[in-house]
Amino acid sequence: MPMGRRVYPVSSNSQRNQQPDSNRVLTQLLVFLYCKCLWRGLKFVIRKLTGRCELQRICYNNKPGARRTLKIESSLKCSKHELLQSAINVHPDSVEKTIDDIISLKKINPDTNPQLGISLQACLLQIVGYRNLVVEVEKLRREPYDCENSAHEEMLMKLWKELRPDSPLSGRISKQWCEIGFQGNDPKTDFRGMGLLGLHNLLYFAEHDKATALQVLHDSLQPKHRNVSTEEASKMSKAEWDKKKFDKAIGYSFAIVGINITDLAYSLLVSGALKTHLYNVAPEMPSLVHFQQTFCYLMQEFHRFWIEEDPCDIMEFNRVRTKFHKRVLKQLKNPDMALCPHFTASDLHLVNL
Amino acid sequence: MLDYCFRTLCCKGPPPPRPEYDVVCIGLTGSGKTSLLSRLCSEATDNIVPTTGFSIKAVPFQNAILNVKELGGADSIKKYWSRYYQGSQGVVFVLDSASSEEDLEVARTELHSALQHPQLCTLPFLILANHQDKPAARSVQEKVFINAPSTPHTPYGALCMMDGCTFWASKSLPVKLGRARTFCKKLLYSYDSLRVSKSWGNFHF
Repeated sequence: MPMGRRVYPVSSNSQRNQQPDSNRVLTQLLVFLYCKCLWRGLKFVIRKLTGRCELQRICYNNKPGARRTLKIESSLKCSKHELLQSAINVHPDSVEKTIDDIISLKKINPDTNPQLGISLQACLLQIVGYRNLVVEVEKLRREPYDCENSAHEEMLMKLWKELRPDSPLSGRISKQWCEIGFQGNDPKTDFRGMGLLGLHNLLYFAEHDKATALQVLHDSLQPKHRNVSTEEASKMSKAEWDKKKFDKAIGYSFAIVGINITDLAYSLLVSGALKTHLYNVAPEMPSLVHFQQTFCYLMQEFHRFWIEEDPCDIMEFNRVRTKFHKRVLKQLKNPDMALCPHFTASDLHLVNL
Repeated sequence: MLDYCFRTLCCKGPPPPRPEYDVVCIGLTGSGKTSLLSRLCSEATDNIVPTTGFSIKAVPFQNAILNVKELGGADSIKKYWSRYYQGSQGVVFVLDSASSEEDLEVARTELHSALQHPQLCTLPFLILANHQDKPAARSVQEKVFINAPSTPHTPYGALCMMDGCTFWASKSLPVKLGRARTFCKKLLYSYDSLRVSKSWGNFHF
C-alpha cells in the first residue's frame, strides 16, 4: 500500500541558512554597484592611459575568433551610446556604414588604424548573422508540417528514399515509417514543436552525411543481446527469456532521436551557447548550413555517447540526453573551441565529422 | 526576489510545506500529456517534442504538489508503463477525444488494462478528454470512449473521475477510499482551478 509522503518543515536549518544568505545579497549588491558605476570610471581611466577605446583594445589584443567577437558584442551591448547599442540589431547590408559611424563617433583616425574597420566589420557581421540565424531557425520551427503542402510531402518522401533506397513505401500512411524511427503510421504527428526544422535537419543529415546517417539507422534497428545473469534467467520462463534476449532493447528510434537533437541544437542556438562554436567556425556570417552541420555533428556525437553510456533501454533516454546536453554546454564554455569544423556541402560526404 | 528580501528582513520562515503526491500520467502518443503538464507548470508549450522514455515534473497547486511521472505513449514505450506504476498514489489518463475510432479503441484498451492492473486498481483515476476544441471531439458526456457501465458495480476497484462527475466503481474498498477520496477532492479542486484559468486552450469542458 503506498503511503502518503509528507514534507516536514526544516525549521532547524532555516536560522542557520539566513546568515550566509544575507551575505550573498550584500555581495550581489556590491557587484551591481561596481558594474554600474565603477566600471565606467575604470574604462575612462584606461582610455586616457592607453589612448585607445575599448573596441580598439579588444581588436588589438585578441585574434579573430569567438573570444574577440564575444567581447565586442558585450562591449557594444553595454555601451552608453545609442548607436553602439543598436549596432547589434542592424541589417547585414548596413554593417559597413554602421562601423564607419562608430569609428567617427569614437574619434578614431581610420588612416592610423586601417585594420580596425575591417576587424570590427567582421565581428559585427558575425554578431548580426547569428541573430538573423536565430530568427530564421525560429521561423522554420514555427512552421508546422502540412500534408497539403507538396513541398513538405516531397521532403518527407525524399527522407525515406535516402534512408531506405531499396524498399519502396507501401503508402503515405504506413507502419513502415517506424523502420526509420517515427512513432506511428504518420510522421506528421511526430514533428510537433520542432515543425519543419526537424524535417529539414533530418533530411540534411541523410543527404549530406549519408554514411553516418545510415550507420546510426542501422545501429538503432539492431536487437541488443543483453547479457542476462543466471540468477535472473532462472526466474524467467522460456518465453520471457527468448523475448528478453532478443528484445530490441535499446529501442533507439532514428527519427525521434533526430527530433530531440534538433530540440537540443535549437535550445543551444537560442540561448546563445552556440555563439562560441559559430563565431569560431564561421568567419563570415553564420547561416542555416552551419546550424545543420552542427546538427549532424550532434547526432553523431550523441549516438557515440549513447553507446558509451550503454543504457538498458529507451526509458533512460531523457537521463542520457540531459547528460549529453551538459557535456556539450561544458565544451561550449571554452571560447577557443569549436565543436566541429565547417565544410562546404560538397566536401562533407568526403570527410567524417 | 522581493518576497524573499521581505521575508529575510522580517525574519519570517519559509512558507508551510504542501503535501506531495506521486502521480503517474499515461495516455497514447499525441494525446497531450506533455503539453498539459507544461501548461500546469507555466512553461512554454510550443516547443514540445515527443516524450521518449519518461519525464518527471513537480506540478505545484495551491494546496498540494503533484510529482508527476509522465510516460511516453508510443508503442515501443507503452510496454514499459507497468514498470513505473510502483509507488503511485494516483493516475491521470489523457486521451485525444478527437482521434479516430481505432485510436479511441486502443485508448480504451489501455485504460482498461491500467484500471485492472494490480498496482493501480485501488488508486484514483483522473481521465481527461483532451483536444475538446477540435470539431471532431467527442463530448465528455458521451461515455462511449470510457465504456463504463451505468451500474455502480464494476470489477475495478478504482475511483474514476471525469469532468467532475464521480462515479463510484467499487463497493468492496470503503476503507481505502477514505484516503483516496481526500486525494481526489484535492485533485478535483486543482482540476477545478484549471477550468477557471483562462490560459487553458484545449481544456474547456
